[in-house]
Amino acid sequence: MADNAKTPGTGGNKPKPTGSGSSQSAKDKSRAASRPVAAKGSGGGGNKPRPGGRASAPAGRPSGGGRGVWLAWGGVALVVVIIVVLVIVKVTSGNSTNTNYIATTTAPADVVQGITTIPLSTWNKVGVTSEVQVSPPTVLKNQPPMTLDGKTPAMLYYGAEYCPYCAAERWVMATALSRFGTWSNLQITASSLSDVYAGTHTLSFHGATLDSPYITFKGVEQYTNIPIAGSPGTYTTLQNPTKAEAAILAKYSSSKYLPNGSTTGGISFPFVDVNNSMLFSGASYDPQVLAGQTWSEIAGNLSDPSNPATQAILTAGNYMSAGICQATKGQPGSVCQSSGVKAAAKALGITIG
Amino acid sequence: MPTLRWQPIVTLLLSVYGLGVSIYLTITHFDKAALSCPAGGGFINCAQVTTSPQSEIFGIPVAMLGLVFFVPMFLLCLPVAWRSTIRLVHWARLALSVTGVGMIIYLIIAELFIIKAICIWCTTVHITTLALFIVIATASPIVLARDYDTDEAEFEVASAADGSAS
Repeated sequence: MADNAKTPGTGGNKPKPTGSGSSQSAKDKSRAASRPVAAKGSGGGGNKPRPGGRASAPAGRPSGGGRGVWLAWGGVALVVVIIVVLVIVKVTSGNSTNTNYIATTTAPADVVQGITTIPLSTWNKVGVTSEVQVSPPTVLKNQPPMTLDGKTPAMLYYGAEYCPYCAAERWVMATALSRFGTWSNLQITASSLSDVYAGTHTLSFHGATLDSPYITFKGVEQYTNIPIAGSPGTYTTLQNPTKAEAAILAKYSSSKYLPNGSTTGGISFPFVDVNNSMLFSGASYDPQVLAGQTWSEIAGNLSDPSNPATQAILTAGNYMSAGICQATKGQPGSVCQSSGVKAAAKALGITIG
Repeated sequence: MPTLRWQPIVTLLLSVYGLGVSIYLTITHFDKAALSCPAGGGFINCAQVTTSPQSEIFGIPVAMLGLVFFVPMFLLCLPVAWRSTIRLVHWARLALSVTGVGMIIYLIIAELFIIKAICIWCTTVHITTLALFIVIATASPIVLARDYDTDEAEFEVASAADGSAS
């Protein structure tokens, strides 16, 4: 570096001691002769960089890294271009979609694990005792068992992704049914952001399936949580019940079977029919219990019997399990003979198996 | 001769700001009531973003990952770190900034195309991370081109052979 060249002082670059004085190798001589010298000012010696953040490139090396500088600016340009393109694509793709909702996506592994690995001891410890008030289901007698897709016994859920009460009830269904089969493609979503208990984190049964040797489950999510622009309180349609499902819903949601049932044929969300012998209408517990909790937090707490939300979910889950056990005639025994399910059956006045 | 005059202080200020916002967003992740969004509803919707499935990666809150990014970044942007004669320090700073900008590209995609809402706080962190990347990426060739201790012996030999350093 010509700019750095100064008359060397006494403390400049000294040759390394070699022992014999003149035994520098031919390789070293050759290398030295081919390179310019990075001469130093007085004192100090050596080639340590000066403190203070000022860069000093050694002789023979391009100032500022040469190729590195181009690489750096190329990288910066690439990143900026990517971000600009993303923004342009977003802007030009139109903004007509109402985005005031939380998108439904596949449930993360930790959420599914939390739901499906609740220890039996936790179920039994909770039984039907909960700090949070839990409404027991309506028990029906002498009704024909439900048949769905030609299979019996069966259980039908009817709800909507925007509905905050459904949000609370889905945790009950997901945990209770996981005792009787294996879930596939469970989804996570949240209730409407503009309704009560806004954005309650929950699951969605749209596209989810339960593989069970004991019971057939069908979940119908009639609406999404996506608001229809310009029409407050309405949401886009997601899924319609089949004729057979609609007939079951119409029959058992009436005031003939439900104390708070409809007298005009309308159905309130959520509605759960366990083999036409047990009905859950509305949320079993106050959705406020779940407020401010993420999916992972709710699912992660399900093994803690002292957690208020867990107590509410598992108490209602034991009621539901008892209803399913009644439908499966006590199968599987590991669930249906558990103390938690027995306690629920006793509280509801039903006989299992 | 390229010099580093403003880069150390600018990166330090940016990392301090990023660290502060990350701490705030981590707090609001666990205490939703603490979240104050400059503009709520519509496309700008902090709650929608911070409570979305994308707000966690493998169960770890993204806000906490921001902390994991900005704490070492803050340390690597201290003046003493910029003056360090250890080459690895400068490579680490550069690698961290590249990782950070890769992460924000993913998060921008998630916000714009999956969540379909943006969070002002998150966006300021994205801009901060991008600015850090630009400054660090363009400054790194300068600091990495410095003469470090590992090269010292070679130059000593060169000076002796040339005879001009006597």
